[in-house]
Amino acid sequence: MNLSKRSLYQLIAGLALLLAALPVVAHHSFTMFDNSKQIVITGVIKEFQWTNPHTWTWIEVTNDQGVTETWGIEGMSPNFLGRRGWTKESLKPGDKVSITIFPLKSGEKGGTFLRCKFADGHEMVMFENPKVIQ
Amino acid sequence: MLLTNMYQQAALAFLFCAATVATASGADALPGSDWSSIAKLPDLNGVWEITFGGVVGGPPQQVVLTPKYAALLKAFQEAPAQDTPMANCVPPGMPGVMLQPYPIEFLYTPGMVTIVVEAFSQVRHIYTDGRKHPDDPDLTFNGHSIGRWEGDTLVVDTVGFTPDTPLGMNMGTRHSSKMHIVERFHLKDANHLELTMTIEDPEALAQPWMRSAVFGRHRDWTIAEYVCQQNNRNFMDASGKAGINLNHK
Repeated sequence: MNLSKRSLYQLIAGLALLLAALPVVAHHSFTMFDNSKQIVITGVIKEFQWTNPHTWTWIEVTNDQGVTETWGIEGMSPNFLGRRGWTKESLKPGDKVSITIFPLKSGEKGGTFLRCKFADGHEMVMFENPKVIQ
Repeated sequence: MLLTNMYQQAALAFLFCAATVATASGADALPGSDWSSIAKLPDLNGVWEITFGGVVGGPPQQVVLTPKYAALLKAFQEAPAQDTPMANCVPPGMPGVMLQPYPIEFLYTPGMVTIVVEAFSQVRHIYTDGRKHPDDPDLTFNGHSIGRWEGDTLVVDTVGFTPDTPLGMNMGTRHSSKMHIVERFHLKDANHLELTMTIEDPEALAQPWMRSAVFGRHRDWTIAEYVCQQNNRNFMDASGKAGINLNHK
């Protein structure tokens, strides 16, 4: 990398503000989530709560033992998402989807919503660049 | 008759309060003091969202605390809370409330600029009618704000802050009730608004702390509701431990 001092300052300034201003940290810290790993959960949407301060996606996932469990996935707010192509109808009960999440460190069945792949193959991104918070 | 009375009242008010509030339109009226004057103010219509990485005049400054407040920060860092009261839906107060990743909106009415902050549904009233701060203001999250136009720049002076809110992004970097913030809002170009903040605090800061942000205009957006208590499943308990509620229904 051959960065001038000024460019370097701009980069650092940009990163500092980016970290300070990320939507996920607007409301709470990221302490509870393991942002070093992404996992994919596949199941059937039970409910998509289009609410502040976060959307919540409740999805029924069948585990290795054949038992169906409900996972709760915290997502960006309807305010943020509504300006970026999402609606309260984007996920509907009965939709079969695969959701990529940062899981909870506690091992509880929950995480942060990163992106979602639908049965027809199309994908919707909720949180564009998860790398910036790693 | 009514008109005559109005002029008489205006003339009387001007005579008695010449140095303060101008109630009649004219050369001595403060910018934004009446509707015709408002039409000459910079067009801030639309909704403004902070741009990620936007800064004014160089890299962000590090905060320089007084020894007493540096000690408070050190004590916090030895056993840091996992989150802030924002997780419990408590707004951040100034200056943080102006730096949220949610839009803001400016409304002009005679003698006042109102800033609507979407995050936590906050509202700031900036009195531009020439009044002064109260001698002994109540201490609030967002303080008491008076403003003036210096050409095309809106200068906002705010005092009267509760010390309960943080100065920075963590709860260890504190300010006192003597914090004083001067904000300057200026259109950089048609669709970018620059904000520079100068934060002073004789108890907490060893030197003024400059912060800045650049907002981008979205004319087709509207401010949305943000009731944090609607479905808040995050929390921080009294010991500073963060948690999450996964009980569906």
